[in-house]
Amino acid sequence: MNNPVVKIENLVKRYGDLVALDHFSLEIREGEIFGLLGPNGSGKTTTINCLLSLLSYDKGDIAVFGQKMTPSSYDIKKEIGVIMQNVAVFDELNVYENIDYFCGLYIRDKAQRRQYVDEAVQFVGLEDFLKFRPKKLSGGLLRRLNIACGIAHKPKLIILDEPTVAVDPQSRNRILEGIQTLNRNGATVIYTSHYMEEVEQICTRIAIMDKGRKIAEGTKDELKRMIRNTETVTIEVLELDEAVRAEIAALPHVYETVFDGKTLTVCCSGGKHNLIRILGVLQAHAVSFGRVYSELPTLNDVFLEITGTALRDKEE
Amino acid sequence: MQVFKTYLKILKKHLHVASIYVIAFLLTGFAMTFMDDSASLFEQTRLKICVLDLDNTPESRALCDLISKQHDIREMPADEDAMLDALYYERINYALTIGKGYAEKLAAGETDGLFENRFLHDSYSTAYMEQFLNEYVCTVRAYLAGGAASADAAAQACASFETETAVRVVKSGPENTSDMSLAAALFFRYLPYLFISVLMNVLCPVLHAVNKKDIRFRTDCSGVRPLRYTAAIFGGTGVFVAGIWVIFVAAAIPMNGGLYHGTAWIAVLNSLVFTLFSASVTLLVSGFDPPSNLVNMITQMISLGMCFICGVFVDQNMLGENVLAAARFLPAYWYIRVNRMMEGSDAFDGALALRAIAIEAAFAAVLALLTVLVRKSRSRSASA
Repeated sequence: MNNPVVKIENLVKRYGDLVALDHFSLEIREGEIFGLLGPNGSGKTTTINCLLSLLSYDKGDIAVFGQKMTPSSYDIKKEIGVIMQNVAVFDELNVYENIDYFCGLYIRDKAQRRQYVDEAVQFVGLEDFLKFRPKKLSGGLLRRLNIACGIAHKPKLIILDEPTVAVDPQSRNRILEGIQTLNRNGATVIYTSHYMEEVEQICTRIAIMDKGRKIAEGTKDELKRMIRNTETVTIEVLELDEAVRAEIAALPHVYETVFDGKTLTVCCSGGKHNLIRILGVLQAHAVSFGRVYSELPTLNDVFLEITGTALRDKEE
Repeated sequence: MQVFKTYLKILKKHLHVASIYVIAFLLTGFAMTFMDDSASLFEQTRLKICVLDLDNTPESRALCDLISKQHDIREMPADEDAMLDALYYERINYALTIGKGYAEKLAAGETDGLFENRFLHDSYSTAYMEQFLNEYVCTVRAYLAGGAASADAAAQACASFETETAVRVVKSGPENTSDMSLAAALFFRYLPYLFISVLMNVLCPVLHAVNKKDIRFRTDCSGVRPLRYTAAIFGGTGVFVAGIWVIFVAAAIPMNGGLYHGTAWIAVLNSLVFTLFSASVTLLVSGFDPPSNLVNMITQMISLGMCFICGVFVDQNMLGENVLAAARFLPAYWYIRVNRMMEGSDAFDGALALRAIAIEAAFAAVLALLTVLVRKSRSRSASA
């Protein structure tokens, strides 16, 4: 578990005056599903392209499997599978021919390749579509084909760059389950996305990026512990006296209360019975209330607290 | 090998486009070969003529017989409106009425009022028939002047008109000293249009598919060296280009009346170099990765434009000096210069032919170099 598969040190990449990666460092260990989370333009894809030596960079070092990665590191490249955001397949070839072609770039032995292609087809569940051309496939099936083309040669390191963009929920779940299966089979996975739910669901370690910098790194629990908020209680209240609100704000572990005339939002830091205490205050003052929610912090809260902006706001 | 095989597999899916051009061109070529001989033979024009003989004498009947032998007689009622309608709708080309007293006037040496004619003004058929009648009357008068009776004079004039002269159309210009048949040379003349059309229409979509940004990206991530990938694509392109060239050079062998020999090999070399130029153009255009709907437009622009200016479709003799001066900067002009020697339109000059082929080769080399530069600059900007 401890061998670093990928090690990036002080990576700097500039596009003219724009700094796409600003002294970015990262270490990914064997057997991890490592999530790179960040809004569009945060530098995730640039990091991947530099890692694969498809982009030149201004400064820094990249090592994969303990060896320096260069454009001519063909032996290292053989051990990497790449699934990019855009579906990269030949429209002229059918499903089987496409997987066979991309597998053939790595595996020369025909019999072994046939076996690998069959396994990849089975893995993504495209057995019934082998003779279909990509244009005849739905968006979800096309994504699965894209994945099959990237993993057919059984790589040790799999890089997935936003593989679930514009995919229906059913196909998305299947893709995420597939990634976990690949990881269980021994592959180290780098997963980039701006969907925090996906990253939370499958990644064992996460780095959050913004403006080309790594702003936080750790397991999801470690990341959540980095922030003050541990629980947000939301209560529908039609009328609320300022005195009652002040009493709630004075409760232990409560560090912020917001009332917008309809909803009372209480942010807590630590503590185990925050909800019971808040409801107790409301009942003591005979304040009638409607629905009550208690939410644990998300990665979006982590991003919000660190950068002052929500991930989703950034997307817009 | 995987890239090469896949390239050919994708190429196979686009072969129907090539087959349309190949079949159409071969059929046209073979049809031209069969038509070639008849085109050089002379055949007298036959007009559709309506004749009304109001004189009904041996002299007038002799003329009617002669006309019926040399032209197609159309029966018509002796009605002026009907005749004019027939002329207007081109059911007849000429309406001839032999007037009463024709034989007497002819014997008396009169030439006016012999015929009453209805015809279309300023038409070729009218001029042709008028000339025929004048010639006939002059011939009869010549026999009359020689002392023959009017009926005999008419009969002898008819006999002299019936004598056919075998005519063969002979091309003017220098003697054809090339070792290639005219049919094969004509077939070779249109190859520039065909090579550019087929290669661009078939190869541009294939090259677009294999050089698509995302596909290249995925391939670059694999262990395949870029040089090997490019070599496989060039190999596949080369196989197709060679295949197309061989098909057409082989197809022209029957038109040539046998295997190429002597100076005919110059034409074969000329076509090979032009094929290389066409391949270079195709690679250069595909380097810019034009959208598929634009490929056909660009192809037509290059192939038709160049072929029209350089004398593929219109003989270079018919083109203006300014057009030819501009055409010198295009390889098709030099191709046609060599081919004109094969057709016999220009005297064969080996040194000039080789110089023209060298110019074509230079065009091909420059375009190939440009292709490399374009591709390099595009890949550099993608990885910057």
